[in-house]
Order: sequence, then C-alpha cells, then structure tokens
Amino acid sequence: MSIVASKAAKSAAHVHVPSSIMEGRPYGGLFFYAVFYLSFIYIPVLFLPLFSFNDSIYIAFPLKGFTTKWYGEMAASNGLIEALKNSLKVGTAVCIISTIFGVLAAKAMTRYRFPAKGPITGLIMLPFVVPGIILGIALLILTYSMGMELSLFTIAVSHVLLAVPFSMLVLISRMEGFDKNLEEASLDLGEGPWRTFWQVTFPLTLPGIVASLLLCFSVSFDEFILAFFLSGNEATLPIYIWSQLRFPSKLPSVLALGACIFVFSCVLVTFSEWLRRRGVQVKTASSV
Amino acid sequence: MANKAIAASAARAAPRPASGVSAFFLKHEWARGYTLLSPTLGVMIIAMCVPVFMLTAHSFWTQNYLTIDKTFTFANYVQFWEKEIYFKLLVKSIKISAIVTFTTVVLAYPMAYFMAFKVKKNKLVWLILITVPFWTSFLLRVFAWKIILGFNGVINSGLISLGLIQEPLEFLLYNPTAVIITLAHAWAAFVILPIYVSLEKIDRSLLEAATDLGDGPVSRFLRVTLPLSMPGVIAACLFVFIPTVGDYVTPKLVGGTEGIMIGNIIQSQFGKANNWPLGSALSIYMVFGITLCVLGFLLVARLITKGGSLKAS
Amino acid sequence: MNRVKFIDRMAQGKVARRDMLRAAAAIGVGVSTMPLKARAANNITAMEWAGYEAPEYYQAYVAKHEKAPDFSFFSTEEEAFEKIRAGFPADLMHPCTYSINQFKDGGLVKPIDTSRLSNWPDVIEPLKTWSGVVLEGDVVMVPTDWGNSSVLYRTDMVDPEYMKDESWSILFDEKYTGRVAPSDGESNVEIAGLLLGMSRDDIFHMTDEQMEQVRPLLERQTKVARFYWTAQAEAIAALASGEIVAAYAWNDAVKTLTKDGIPVKYAVPKEGIFTWLCGLTLLNSGEGDEALTYDFLDAWLSPETGKYMIEEVGYGHGNRKSFELAAPEALAALGFSTDPTQMLSDGILFQPVPGDINTKYINLFNEIQAMSGT
Repeated sequence: MSIVASKAAKSAAHVHVPSSIMEGRPYGGLFFYAVFYLSFIYIPVLFLPLFSFNDSIYIAFPLKGFTTKWYGEMAASNGLIEALKNSLKVGTAVCIISTIFGVLAAKAMTRYRFPAKGPITGLIMLPFVVPGIILGIALLILTYSMGMELSLFTIAVSHVLLAVPFSMLVLISRMEGFDKNLEEASLDLGEGPWRTFWQVTFPLTLPGIVASLLLCFSVSFDEFILAFFLSGNEATLPIYIWSQLRFPSKLPSVLALGACIFVFSCVLVTFSEWLRRRGVQVKTASSV
Repeated sequence: MANKAIAASAARAAPRPASGVSAFFLKHEWARGYTLLSPTLGVMIIAMCVPVFMLTAHSFWTQNYLTIDKTFTFANYVQFWEKEIYFKLLVKSIKISAIVTFTTVVLAYPMAYFMAFKVKKNKLVWLILITVPFWTSFLLRVFAWKIILGFNGVINSGLISLGLIQEPLEFLLYNPTAVIITLAHAWAAFVILPIYVSLEKIDRSLLEAATDLGDGPVSRFLRVTLPLSMPGVIAACLFVFIPTVGDYVTPKLVGGTEGIMIGNIIQSQFGKANNWPLGSALSIYMVFGITLCVLGFLLVARLITKGGSLKAS
Repeated sequence: MNRVKFIDRMAQGKVARRDMLRAAAAIGVGVSTMPLKARAANNITAMEWAGYEAPEYYQAYVAKHEKAPDFSFFSTEEEAFEKIRAGFPADLMHPCTYSINQFKDGGLVKPIDTSRLSNWPDVIEPLKTWSGVVLEGDVVMVPTDWGNSSVLYRTDMVDPEYMKDESWSILFDEKYTGRVAPSDGESNVEIAGLLLGMSRDDIFHMTDEQMEQVRPLLERQTKVARFYWTAQAEAIAALASGEIVAAYAWNDAVKTLTKDGIPVKYAVPKEGIFTWLCGLTLLNSGEGDEALTYDFLDAWLSPETGKYMIEEVGYGHGNRKSFELAAPEALAALGFSTDPTQMLSDGILFQPVPGDINTKYINLFNEIQAMSGT
C-alpha cells in the first residue's frame, strides 16, 4: 500500500508536464543570461590557476613567466596539506550534522502549527549577528567548563551553529507549501515514521537537502574566527592561510592549493556525472 | 491532482485509534512541532546562552584597558548617540548590505529560474557547479577581484586597449562599490540555491492552469511563480543581508578608506581597542537595526506572497 | 573551581573576566564543577604564525627530543591574547615589542631565566636589554626575529626630488593622493608624531595634547591613502602593478620586487627608519614541561636558525653569530650588514606603548578612519 504514497511523492517531486509553457527555446535570452552569470561567478576564480603558474610572488599583471615551483612548495608544505585534510573532515561532518538539524527544524516549522515560530527562527539565526570573536570566546569557555579539550570536534560544533540557520532556511523554502496529505497517507496506511520519511519526505526534499549540504560545507570550509578560537593543535585551512599571511612569499603556494581544489572539484563533478550517465545507460540497456 | 485525492481519501478512510502519550501528541499539534524542533533548538539554546549573556552583560559594564568595571551603566548605549559616527556607520552598513542583497537576488533569480525550468537533466551537477568557485579561500578571491578591478587591472587594461578611456579608472577599487561587487560575488551560491529549490518545487500544473486562464508570461510570473518562490527569495535575502551588515573583512581588504563599515569598529573594540563593553553595545544596536529591517522586509514579502496567491486562487 | 573560594574572590573583586564567564558558562549548562582536563603529558604547545612551525627554526630541539612541539596558529596578537586569556593552555607565544605589554599586563607572561639558555650570551648586545625584551626588570621575551619598517617606493614613478630627500612624509603627501598605501594600524600615529618633530621616545608616550597635534596629519593621510594594507602581499602587488607609488613595508618586500625587476628603493627616511622586533615569550598558562620550553627557546636562538631565517624569509635574527653564518649576498639583498649592532642603533625601535596610551592611539586612528568612511 505504501507504494502508492511513495509513488505519489516521487511523481510530485518530478512532475513532468509536457506543455508548451515549459519548453522555452534552448538558446533563448535566459540561456545567454546564464552564461553571463556563470562567467561572473567563475572568471575571478579562474585567475587563480593562471597566477599559480606565474613566476612571481605577488598577484599582479603583467605575468612574469611560467613555473610549476609553487605546486612543489605546496606539496612540500605539510602544514598546508594537514590543514586541508582537517578542513575537509570538519566540513564534511558539519554539512551532514547541520543538515540533519536543519531537516528536523524545517520539518517542524513547515508541518506543524505552534506558537512563537517567529522568535524561534530569530533565536536560530542569532549566530549570524553575534560578533564572531564573542561567539568564539564564549564557546571556548563553554568547552573548557564542560571539561572538554579543543579539537576538530569543537571546531565542527561551532560551525554547526553557524551552518544550521542556512540549512534550516533552505529546507523551509523547499518544504513550505508541500502537501501534508502525502505523509499522512503513508502514516495512515501503516507505515512507520522512518519509512514515511525515506519514502515520502526524503525524495520530496532531496534538492533542498543537496543545497543545504553544499551551503553548509562552504560555510565551514572558509570560516576563520570560530575555527581559530576552537582549534587545539590541529588547524583548518583558513586558520593556516590567514596565519601565514605574515609571509608574502608563502602566498603563491596557497594560490596553487586554491587552484588544485578548484580544478579537482570540477574534475570530480564531471567524472561522477560521466559515471552516473554510464550507469544509466547500462541500466536502460539491460532493462530493454 | 489525482495523487492528492488518493492520499486524502486514504487518510480519511483509516483513522487510527490512539491512546496515552500518542493521543496527547495527536491532539496537540504544538507538542509534535516542539518535539521535532527540540534537538535543533536545544543545541542552539545551550550554545548561544553563554555568548548572548556575555554580549548583554558587557554592554552594561565599562572597561579601562584590561580591567572590567562591572558597575551597571548605560554609558555605552548613551555613547552611541553622543558620537554621530556610530549611527552614521550603522546606517551606511545597512545601506550597503541592502544594496548587496538586492543586487545579488535580482542577478541570481534568472539564473535560478534557468536551472529550475530550462535545465532538464543533471540538475544536481548544476547545483554543485554553482558552489565550486566558493571552495577557494575568500582571501584568494579578494586578490582576484583586485586584479580585475585594480588600477592596471583587467577592466582598466581592457577599456584602455579598446580606446574607450585614456587613464585607468580609479573608482573601481578601494571604495564601497568594490565592497558591493566583492560581496555580491561571495554570496552568489547562498542566493541561487534557496531560490532554485523553491522554484523547482512549483507544481507545473499551476503554471499551466494560469496559462489556461489566459495569463501572459509576465502576469503568470507575477501571479504564480514569484509568490510561490517567495520562501526561497526570503531565505536568500536573510542569508545575505544579516551576515553582511557586520562584515569587516571585505571592507578592510577592498573598501579603502571610504569603505569602512560598522563591523570594523565593532571588531576593533573587541580587539586592539580593548573596549568590549562598547563593542557589545554597538553589536546590540546592530542587531536591533537588522531586526527592524528584516521585520519590515518580511512584512512586504508577506504582502507579495499573499497578493499573489489570492489572485491565483 | 572551588566554589567558596570563587565567591570569596568575587567579593574581593578579584575575579577576572575569564573566571566570571567560566562560572557563568558552568551555570548555563548546569555544570557546577570543573572536571580535570586529561592532557597528554609533557609536550609543549606553541602559539605561532603559520610558517614558523617548520623544523628548520628549531633544529636543535628536534635533534634532542626527536619530536616537534604542538603548534596552534594565530593571525593577530590580539586574538591570540584573548584565546590564551580564555584558558587555552599555550606554553609559548610569539608576540612583538608593540604587543608584549598586553600579555604582561594581562598577567600571562612568565619571566625567562636567561641562564638556562646556552645561546643567550650570543644575543646581540643591545637587544638583551631592549624595552619589550625586558619589562620591569624581567626578561619577558627572547628576541628572535627583527627587521626594518620603512617606505618602499617606485623609483620610476616618484618625483626625482624625493629620492634626494627621503622622508616618511610621502605617506601623508597630497601630491600622491590615491597613490600610497600605509599599513593599517596605530603605527601611523607614531610616524605622524615623528614628522611633527617629536622625539624618538616621545612618539611612544604621547600626551593628549600631542595626540591632538597629530590628528590633522592623520586626517590628511586617510584622504591621501589608496588603502591601508592588512597583509603586506597587498602592498607588494599594488607596487608591482603601479597602482601605488609608495608603501610602508618590511625588508623582505624589497627583495621580492627587485628580483622581478620592478624599480623600487627602500628609503632611509631622514626622520629615521623603524625597527620591529618579535620574539618568544613564556606563558604561565602552559601545562607542558618547562625544561622543554627552554630547549625550544634555545633552539630558536641558535645561529643556524638565524641563518635560515635571514636566507629564507629575510628577517634579521637575535643571535649575532647568525649574521656571520648567513650568505653575504642574502644579507646584501635585504640591506643588512654583517654588523647588526650598528643597524639596530640607527633605527627607531618600536617600543611597547603603555596599555592605556596605546588604547588612545588606537581610538584616535579608528575614529579618523570612521570619520572618513561616513
């Protein structure tokens, strides 16, 4: 019986209404705008790979000559590589934990009616407005008073605070206006809340969950001040980079690392997409 | 909506008997709501009570170099009004943030719209593609913007080689405009994603219905699409507006001497200037300023949403 | 924390912000006791600028103990100060003369027994007693890295007259409006004082009247400056691209730009060139083995470390022997001679400004910045 509900959910999530209104010309004005906007986002970042091969310490035109030595320096800088690993660990933990908190909160906010929703939202948004240094020191004192040590874990906890508002609001904007009846149907048909969640709620909110994961990761990956106060002996990438700023000669290796992260992410996305497509092709081929 | 009908009738057909605790939860919607909310809210309350206490307490104290005088006083709050620069800077910061928010949302909406309605396949890949540029350090992106906007930068060199200008334009960098451009870039993903997820959920049949009722593309957008995507727009606006009012890194790096914002003053009070009480009071004024603006904005947003959905129904 | 003791101390007004807030935090989460922290015994924690964790800076320590200390990185001394004061158990910190006062006044500094340092006798003589190394009779900082602060300018873009008469005034000169970049911070107050003819000592202890005298000069500077740099890399890039003509800079910037053929010169201003000095300070917040901290300090003072620092980052070192060890061409590129004593006595050392005066400097600078921004 639950198949009905889950199917309903799936079809609600991917409504393919073959209609003239949705079929814009593929290369209409909107397409050109998208190209323009993507270049606005990408062009500044594309300068990083360019300058990472420039044989000069500072980032300025004209270019001086080609070199790969900054990549060598980057690879030789244990501190930088360790910091990158730490940031990846923290970022991954933060995006998952925050999204779980965000899903719960957003679900509560959109699914049920209860008093004080406004103030509660305000409270959850508080980490946005409390100055980072206060938040950092307060959380540091809190950590010590609970008898805990500073570690990557404490950094992650502080980042979760910062990321939950993003996660919650993104998910609210996804969940708002959804049909409660789908979930109720599933529950009333005897499905447990977990199955209902996986079969109905999850597919409906999936784009929101992906968006939340991406945003929360980005928040954590580039956060400095909380990470500074809540780090013990393991630095994250922003801590390392800002601390190293005293030495201008170290900047190019940071540039090389930035370029690597950027190129690697792009390759990873392309590759996984290629894999997925192949997977789909194989599947369709075998099912035929 | 056939699915809805099936689901709804199924719901009516099978009411489940309940008792005890579950009866309480079934009867009281707020109880279910709070239960679901409690993990998130609990963590937030535990973590935020100390910083909020610190902020509030300090704002009523005074500090001389490293010594805190804990005599209760309103002096810091009064000081805000005595020197008009604080108020002016707060207003200026709110103005800059509002411009950043407006520009970012207006620029990003068509992009999100494109992703939601024109892109047919691999939508997740698009989401990631929007985010990837922001996984490089903000510091490096700032340096990149300096190359683009600078005196001998990309834009100036381009315009000179095209013969459009003789001398490099100096107003591109180290002023509030540069702050706005840099921030509009830095927050792009945070605006596109929420708008995208709220656009993507819009039931296409509603758009069809609007067309059937004789709506043109523009009025269909205003009556159906925009109001239904308002939750995403609201989220996007809050994401950009609230954190940028107190930003101090961007003004410092690209704002030059005119670009300073209230965040710079606050940050200095907690740092070198050793005046936590004043910094706290300024922060609290800032929070009030932000809250007022957000409430005003939400009111307007609600009118748009309501107006749209009323007309649509 | 013993509760009775705490209340007792609170009544006496002796409770620091840190204790107060710790207590508040404890109440906030319903934890009224402070459980003991389990810590890896012995190993020391150093708060450092990233880059200084490289083992080349403390070879002797690694050779002796076969391990490195734990490092915790900071990017501004004020943030590091707050973190230590909030309870971070660091054993060592790397402040400079202009920031050491805060650590001393905050009660975080542990005096150094120089008899436990084998390299101390080789420390450049004037540095051993310099204000900031010694405060109130105690050695509070082992002098490790130092260098100059001066005006770095483009010889092809500056008025030829300036080259004959180098002065700090270029950072305040309306002729160069939009073409200069001072560094961000209260050092501009001191430079302005110097330009007004105040003594090399007075600029670090200005009276309120003297501060009013420098105000107009600083107001002019905010109009003249293209930007105030927070990272020297900003100034170097702007000099290279020709965005600015002159900037406040350290020695290493000269080396970087000259290497790429950018025509720059490091001024010796007629008012005097500044010398900055940083070093290692022992903290009483530490929980590591004290003997290890001394070994670490000693390793930092070794001439080999000095040689590496001169050649690698372009800073001077506290040990005079390192100048004999360093490659002569590396010294020359930086404008150092083999006799650091002469160089040090020529320069104006950034003295620790007393805390309350320092706050006034900062407020003056901030206020003028804020005014120009509205």
